Amino acid sequence: MPVEIPKDKWTGKVRTVTLGATAAEGGTRTKSIVVGGDTTMPFMQFEAPTAHTPVIAIEIKSRKPDDWSSLLEETWGSVMSDPAAWAKAAEAAGADMIVLWLSLEDTADDAMRAVKSVLAATGLPLAVYGPGQVDKDNELLVAVSESANGEKLLLGICEDKNYRTIAATSMANGHLITARTAMDVNLAKQLNILISDMGLPLDRVIMDPTTGALGYGMEYGYSVMERLRLAALQGDAMTQLPMMVTPGFETWKTKESKVGVGVPEAWGDWKERAIHWETLTATALLESGASIVVLRHPESLKRVRTAITELMTA
Amino acid sequence: MYIIGENIHIISEKVKEALINRDREFFMDLAVKQVEAGASAVDINLGPRKKDWAEVFPWMVEAVESVVDVPLSIDTTNIDGMEAALKTIKKNQPILNSTSAEPERLQKIPLLAKKYGAKVIALTMAAEGIPVSADDRVNIAVEKLIPRMMEIDFPMSDLIIDPLVLTTSGCQQYCPHLIETVRTLQYAWEPAPIISVGLSNVSNAVPNENRPLINRVYLSMLMGVGLQMMIANPFDKDQNNVIKWIETKDMSTSLSRLYNKIAERIAASDEPQPEDFDMQDPEQGAIWKTTQILLNKVIYADGYLNQ
Repeated sequence: MPVEIPKDKWTGKVRTVTLGATAAEGGTRTKSIVVGGDTTMPFMQFEAPTAHTPVIAIEIKSRKPDDWSSLLEETWGSVMSDPAAWAKAAEAAGADMIVLWLSLEDTADDAMRAVKSVLAATGLPLAVYGPGQVDKDNELLVAVSESANGEKLLLGICEDKNYRTIAATSMANGHLITARTAMDVNLAKQLNILISDMGLPLDRVIMDPTTGALGYGMEYGYSVMERLRLAALQGDAMTQLPMMVTPGFETWKTKESKVGVGVPEAWGDWKERAIHWETLTATALLESGASIVVLRHPESLKRVRTAITELMTA
Repeated sequence: MYIIGENIHIISEKVKEALINRDREFFMDLAVKQVEAGASAVDINLGPRKKDWAEVFPWMVEAVESVVDVPLSIDTTNIDGMEAALKTIKKNQPILNSTSAEPERLQKIPLLAKKYGAKVIALTMAAEGIPVSADDRVNIAVEKLIPRMMEIDFPMSDLIIDPLVLTTSGCQQYCPHLIETVRTLQYAWEPAPIISVGLSNVSNAVPNENRPLINRVYLSMLMGVGLQMMIANPFDKDQNNVIKWIETKDMSTSLSRLYNKIAERIAASDEPQPEDFDMQDPEQGAIWKTTQILLNKVIYADGYLNQ
């Protein structure tokens, strides 16, 4: 007896967002990336083909981080002291996109120089994140935004505390922003409303609903993302934004990934465990609706890529 | 609608200050004004008053009872404080607010109510916390609250069940469950238990300017499923109009017709439809958006009316 697979029919659609501008579009990227456009829950290819393949970004820093796992230092080596070389290595490792985090010690000049060097070293679309303190973020990101006018950078992190400054500079210089809220559907939607009220078109906004690592609240983040996607498909315009999450950042601060000694032997090989942690967290988040996952380890990138390829053809 | 006036509440800065100053006139005035505005009873929520309950509760009861002739609702978690209030009350049958299904409270508070001939509000909350589904809440009432009352031979006509309103800001998915709980509870026992809710909880953590709208739209839905008692702000004129319109089936204005329509839709286990609303009218548009938030059709955000 033939079994008919039940299919959901949705009225809403996630907005399509383009990151990075090529020469033809007024920038210098060798290609741009399109995310979003989803009309179903993730990877329900039998309902409708996934509009755009999810994207893997690699996180790099403007200065060599002193709190990263030695496993990451081992794999990236000396490029970690040079953002341009690091970006090149990330591209060689297969990244679709680079996320450059600026540092607290950076001046506006340092930040502009770092961004310029990364733009020169790779043709991939680029996200630039401030160090995470509102005043410093505003100072650095406004300078970067103006100096990289027209590149369609993704500027972050834009939160309820500073969205006005970041949205304004993005509007003036042709960039995009990430709207980040702390794992809460109501707050996520509210920030989108506020940004939209400022006049920034929502096809220049990516939501970062924040997540936790496997074992550290990932399931909570998963539910929030799932609910946002369901609302988007049901037609709620203020939730119809592609989502970007940072499983690399989240998993590499867990004890399971960070520590190789003094942990139970049953935990197994440290490096394998750390990569599993990042890969599994990222894959689960793709399943909950992420369009962009930001990773740290090139081996995780490879494995998540395999998962995406299989999910896209399943 | 039987309104238990909520305004003598320790969360209010004015109440806090008046209590510190033992400002008898302030509380007498607030009680009188609530009754004048339509309150059928006056709630007194002073917090637990762990140190001065023996003095404060009788003092407050005496002050309020000297000027109003309605039942007082003693709203505290402090059982000694409750009893001190009960001993002082002379005029009307008091209300104890509240017990829950947590074993210790359910053990003691109904006995206290029985001893003093008080009504008691019983929350559908067990030791595990607030249940979220309609079924779970009804089950607590039927399996824990009502059996306890029968066990001590407490008159069912003095039991008031409060199925716990949760806020649309953060617990939005449970707002429709509460509506269904109110609907179902009336069939859960014979005779149907009295049901009361704390209406303004539905707009906790919502910016103040949007709270009354959310409260009264939810109220119209709850009246649709038969709500007849609530703890609420009797000074809210727009809310009182909605009550009057629905109770008298007033169809004289577009707004009174709309609130009646919402109540009818919910009564029929249906949902308000866009064609019920004149979307050109900003007020009706706002009411439509509010129904969608309360029925969990659209995700709540503080700026939901601007969407």
